[in-house]
Amino acid sequence: MLFFRSEEMLNAWCAASHLPRREIIPLAKIWELASAWYGDRLARTHSRTRGEMRAIFSRLGLAGPFWELPD
Amino acid sequence: MAVGAGRGHVSGVTLQSTPYSDAELRLAIYRFTAETTRLPTHAELGPLTGLAPEEVRAALARLAAEHVIVLNSHDGSIRMAAPFSGIATQHLVRTGGKEYFANCAWDALGVIAALGGAGEVVSRCEQSLAPIQFRVGAAGPDSAPCIVHFAVPAARWWQDIVFT
Repeated sequence: MLFFRSEEMLNAWCAASHLPRREIIPLAKIWELASAWYGDRLARTHSRTRGEMRAIFSRLGLAGPFWELPD
Repeated sequence: MAVGAGRGHVSGVTLQSTPYSDAELRLAIYRFTAETTRLPTHAELGPLTGLAPEEVRAALARLAAEHVIVLNSHDGSIRMAAPFSGIATQHLVRTGGKEYFANCAWDALGVIAALGGAGEVVSRCEQSLAPIQFRVGAAGPDSAPCIVHFAVPAARWWQDIVFT
């Protein structure tokens, strides 16, 4: 997951890297995702099931085949 | 999770449980990293946990198998304990008066989320290499001219987690 200053910069990087353009996430949404995913990482009891990961994606509106996790 | 027989002391906190569980080793890794800004070596984990070297190696392998951490293939050292990176990267994070390296853009904000919710990210645009720098506070990140690109679908993240 990489930062880009604009979609124009991303498009140029994808072309130069011969990689497809996939999911673009704005900074505010990344913060929501980071908070949900890592906010309890230093807690003694931290652990996360696939179901809980899916629930985070769903709650944040990260839906579709790109965000599907295998069982 | 499997268990060892140790008992350790991490960042002023004595871990009381015996036998020493993989979950406690995970916690020791994260507490050490939060305190020192770097991931612990095998040699440092022994005294921290009271585990013998072979127990440390085996426990780290179990944590890696569960995708809790990532080990370097050449020497078994810890490469990632997400969001923290075991090597210097383009994603520098300042929080709590310390500097950490993150594995990726998501993890850069993850370091701040894990350590209390305020700080600064110093990174770059991967195409232009222009600096990208913003602060994160209680209301979230400051407005910054940047986006984050996820190149790998979630189902394939662990096929090559370093590239992901």
